[in-house]
Amino acid sequence: MNQTTTHKYARSVSIIGVGCTPFMYTVDNPETNGLTEGEMYGYAALKAMEDAGITAKDVDFYFHGCASTLNGMNYLTPNVQIANWFGMKGKASIHHSEACCTGYLAIEQAVNAVASGKYNCVLTGCVEFGDSTPSPADNVETPKHPYKRDKMTMEKFLATTSWLYDRTYARAMMAPIELIYDDAAEDYVRTRGISAQEMDDTLNWMAINNRRNAAKNPLAIERTEFADIAKEKGFDDVMDYMRSPYNPKMGDFLRMEGVERKCDGAAACIVCATEMIPEIAKNLNHKPIEVLGVGCSALEATNPHFEIRATEEAVRQVYAQTGVKPEELDLFYANDFIITSHLIAAEIAGYLPWGEGWKYICEGRTAYDGDKPINTNGGRTSFGHAHAASGLADVYEACLQMRGECGERQVKKLPKTTMLRGYGGAQNIAAVLLRTID
Amino acid sequence: MAIKLEKVVEKFYQGLEEGKFLGRKCPACGAVEFPPVYACNSCGNLETEWVEISGKGVMKSIVLPAALSTKPEYRERMKNFAYGEVEIEEGACFNAVVLGINKKKRKEIYENGKLPVPVHAVTLQRDGYKTVVFELDEE
Repeated sequence: MNQTTTHKYARSVSIIGVGCTPFMYTVDNPETNGLTEGEMYGYAALKAMEDAGITAKDVDFYFHGCASTLNGMNYLTPNVQIANWFGMKGKASIHHSEACCTGYLAIEQAVNAVASGKYNCVLTGCVEFGDSTPSPADNVETPKHPYKRDKMTMEKFLATTSWLYDRTYARAMMAPIELIYDDAAEDYVRTRGISAQEMDDTLNWMAINNRRNAAKNPLAIERTEFADIAKEKGFDDVMDYMRSPYNPKMGDFLRMEGVERKCDGAAACIVCATEMIPEIAKNLNHKPIEVLGVGCSALEATNPHFEIRATEEAVRQVYAQTGVKPEELDLFYANDFIITSHLIAAEIAGYLPWGEGWKYICEGRTAYDGDKPINTNGGRTSFGHAHAASGLADVYEACLQMRGECGERQVKKLPKTTMLRGYGGAQNIAAVLLRTID
Repeated sequence: MAIKLEKVVEKFYQGLEEGKFLGRKCPACGAVEFPPVYACNSCGNLETEWVEISGKGVMKSIVLPAALSTKPEYRERMKNFAYGEVEIEEGACFNAVVLGINKKKRKEIYENGKLPVPVHAVTLQRDGYKTVVFELDEE
C-alpha cells in the first residue's frame, strides 16, 4: 500500500478553546425540537470562543464539517449559510465532508491552515443531524420548512449510507459495503488466536465500559449503565444480559449494543498559532493543548481489511512525524461506531499490547477509572454519533481530560499525551496526537 | 501507449457479459489492478494495459452475512455465501463474495486448516448488469 512521508509543522499550533452541544435526538424533546444548523453550530462555536477567552473578531477563518448535508440540512454550501450566527459574517470559510471522520480531519485542516502561516486563529466546527431531516422528510427536492424537522428513519439512513461507497465497483461487488461490520473482529480472532466466544465477551465489555463512561457524562445520550438495565430485566450478571436476546447478534460477531447511536449534535475548537497565544488569547485561563501531528490515510472499501491497513498507515505517519512513542500515550479515543474499532485501533497504536488488548477490555481497565482509559466520553455507542461532529466531540473530551476538568469521570492520571483515531466514510482515517503545553 | 480518456468501467462490465474477467496490468512492474483502473497502485506508473485474468484465486478470510450485512436480494440470488478477502493468482487482493459457504462449511474450512481456500470467479446477474463473485473450487 502507498505510504506518505509527512513533515513537522512550519510552526506550532494549539487548541485553545473547545465547545460541544449535548448529543441528542432533537426531535424527541420539545425543548430541542426545531433547533437549526446555525443554532447548533453557533452554540458550539461560541462556547469554544468563550473557552478560549476571545471574540469572533479574533478568528480569521472557519471550517465547517457535515457528513450528510443534503439529508441533514438540505444545503449544498452549509458553511455559507451559518456564518451570521457566531459573529463571522463575511469571513472566509470552507465546507468539508468525510463522513464519520469529518470531525478528526476538521482538526487536520485547521491546523494546516494555521501552521502554514496564512491564518493565526481558526475556528473548526462540525454539525450533524443524524437523527432528523428538514421537514417534510420525503425527499431532498421538496421545499423545506424553516425550522421544523422530522425523524430520519433507519430505512432512509441505511439506504443513503450506500452513498459512502464507490458506485462503479464496490456497490456492485456487495462485499465491500457489508464487511464494515465484522471484518475487524474476524481479523482479530484469526490473527490473535482467540475464540469467537472471547471476541463476543470483548465486544460486550467494550459496550459496558463505554456506558460506564457515558453514565458520568452529562452530554452523553445514553446514561444508564448496563448493570442497572440488566437488574431491571431480571439478570443478576450483566454479561448474561449482554449475551441475551435483549442484545441480539446483528452481525457475524457484532451485537446491537456494539453499534452507534446515531443522533444530532455539534462541536467546535479554536486553534491558534502557539506563538500568538499571548497576543490573541490574553484571557486564556487554561493550558493550551498542542496538536503535535496528524497522520492520515484513505482506503476505499474494495481493499481488504481497509480499516486496519489505513489505521496502520495513519499511526505510522504520526509517530514518524512527531517522534512520539506509543508508551508515551496516556489516553486514547477511537471512533467506534462499530465498537470493534476501539480494540483494534488501540492495539495498532500500541496503546494496548498486540494480542492482549481484549484482556484489558474484559478486565475493565479501559473504562475511565482504569489504567488504560479509552473513549472516556462514552464513545459512539453511548455518547452518541452525530456523524461529522463526533470527532470534535472527542477532541472536546480529550482537552477537558487533559485539563483535569472532567469531574467524576476524570481519569486517574492527568493525561499529558493523547491519541485520537478517526475513522469513517469508507474509509478515511486520521491519527491525531495532542500534548498539553506546560 | 499514451494516457487515454477511456471507458474502463463500461469495458469491464461488458467483459462480464461475455464471461471474461478483465483487469489492467502495469507494463512497468507487472502488477495487476482488479477491478481495473487507470494507473498502477504498486509502482505509481501512469498507465496500465488490459489483461484477461484467469479468475483463479484464494479466499483468505471469511465473514458470514447477518442481519446488518445482507439484503433480501442477496439471499434470493446467492443462497449460501460469505464475504472476505480474495487474492487472485495475478496478485490483486480485494473484498468479494464467495458462494457456497454457510456456517457448517466455514467450520469445516477452519477445522481442517484449509484457509486460504481455493476459489474461482463467476458472474452473477444483478438488476441490469452482471457482477463478479467467486465460488469455492470443487474438492
